Amino acid sequence: MIRFTHVAKRYPGGFDALRNINLNIAAGEMAFITGHSGAGKSTLLKLITLIERPTRGEAFVNGKNLTKLPRRRIPYFRRDIGVVFQDYKLLQDRTVYDNVALPLIVTGADDREIPRRVRAALEMVGLLDKERMYPITLSGGEQQRVGIARALVNKPPLLLADEPTGNLDARLADEILDLFLGFHHHGVTVLIATHDGHLIDRARKRVIELSHGELARDTGAGA
Amino acid sequence: MIKKYFLRHAQTFFFSLGQLTRTPVAALLTVAVIGITLALPAGFYVAIENMQRVARGWEDNGQISLFLKQDVSPAAAAKLADKIRRLPAVSWVDYVSREAALAEFKRLSGFGEALDALERNPLPAVLVVHPAAAHADPDSLQALLKELRRQSEVDIAQLDLDWVRRLHAMLGLARESVLILAGGLAIAVLLIVGNTIRLAVLNRRDEIEIIKLIGGTNAFIRRPFLYTGLLQGLLGAILAWLLVSLALLLLANPIGQLASLYGSQFEVQNLGFQSTLALIGMGGLLGWLGSRLAVGRHLRSIEPR
Repeated sequence: MIRFTHVAKRYPGGFDALRNINLNIAAGEMAFITGHSGAGKSTLLKLITLIERPTRGEAFVNGKNLTKLPRRRIPYFRRDIGVVFQDYKLLQDRTVYDNVALPLIVTGADDREIPRRVRAALEMVGLLDKERMYPITLSGGEQQRVGIARALVNKPPLLLADEPTGNLDARLADEILDLFLGFHHHGVTVLIATHDGHLIDRARKRVIELSHGELARDTGAGA
Repeated sequence: MIKKYFLRHAQTFFFSLGQLTRTPVAALLTVAVIGITLALPAGFYVAIENMQRVARGWEDNGQISLFLKQDVSPAAAAKLADKIRRLPAVSWVDYVSREAALAEFKRLSGFGEALDALERNPLPAVLVVHPAAAHADPDSLQALLKELRRQSEVDIAQLDLDWVRRLHAMLGLARESVLILAGGLAIAVLLIVGNTIRLAVLNRRDEIEIIKLIGGTNAFIRRPFLYTGLLQGLLGAILAWLLVSLALLLLANPIGQLASLYGSQFEVQNLGFQSTLALIGMGGLLGWLGSRLAVGRHLRSIEPR
């Protein structure tokens, strides 16, 4: 699903965010990316979602060569990746339903399909009764679940999460983790960037640790 | 597939309409500015069209006025009129005696009382010569004028067509000027719409970022902004039409009075059907284009971080 060979990312100004990363994550795998702040976790996610391009090396995601994919193909490439953010990134002026429906509208899904799929996604995260509410009226845990429903409503094969529990207390974080474990169980490739050790210990999945832009530890697939 | 395409565009259209009503003051201001900007050239255009209509009426009866010398007696004047009537190039001749000229002047000028104080009539008698239609071309008219000038009783012979021609030339010039003005103001409309859309794009920066992250194409993000620009342009053009109509309504009475002083039934005409369509089409096009230019430029600068 994700294959990095000798990948490096140098930002304009000369800062090396990632150096010589070799990484292979198979379809259906679940892994955590960890490391201190500035270790390169966010940069790695940005490369996978093509917010940034690698400066050196070869990178493949979902069979697409990240260094060669033309700009105009980027939107279509991103439709196969669901992303969950630390700050949820919900549209505050739209209802929960409209937020979750957004990826379907963007991709031009069949109008008759949309309500069914939105409700299926909301049911998955246990928020079916809140579809008419605005994000601001929900708790942090609920908002993050809306974000997760939005990331998965398109049924992407790959789910990325950037510090998904960073703003949540331990109990809510556990609930979110259980959701991710459930998706992994259903065959979705899940990649979570976090420095929440408790989360990593509890999940007992593969851990990829970055330090100063380099791969410091990789417990490997099947851990 | 095509039905779906139109359905999606219709949805975006009404969504954009909804966006406009959500910020009514800003939207109204933009529409008002566009309306006034478009009303200027449209108004000038209507004014010139009407003046040209008036001038066309005058040109049909181009005539030569012969102002006779003061010492020419009415009998001599009548004899001259008979002589001119027999010229092949002449259709008919009106004789305005000195007394008739004075009476007409009293009636039209409003100097009635003051003129009574004059000891003698200062006005000359006039022969108004109407050329035959077959001889109304400029060369024949010039030849006729030359011949009439040779008559010893004639003091001044004036071809009234000259100033009509000059008026036409001036109207032609004014028309060109309106085109140039319209060009300049069209650019102004582009900038107005562009600026409004720029602000709208920046206001919805977060939303655009999120849509880009979940795989929205630039075309998808652009669409509501293009409709917003199109709508503002269309509404602005309709407002411009209303403003011009209002101005004509206010001017209808004074213009009617002026026309009646000239013994004319002239009535001002508003923009015709085609011109109205052109105005509204132009408004929509400028709105769309201004929006397209602004969105194209600012969309690139907004990328997910």
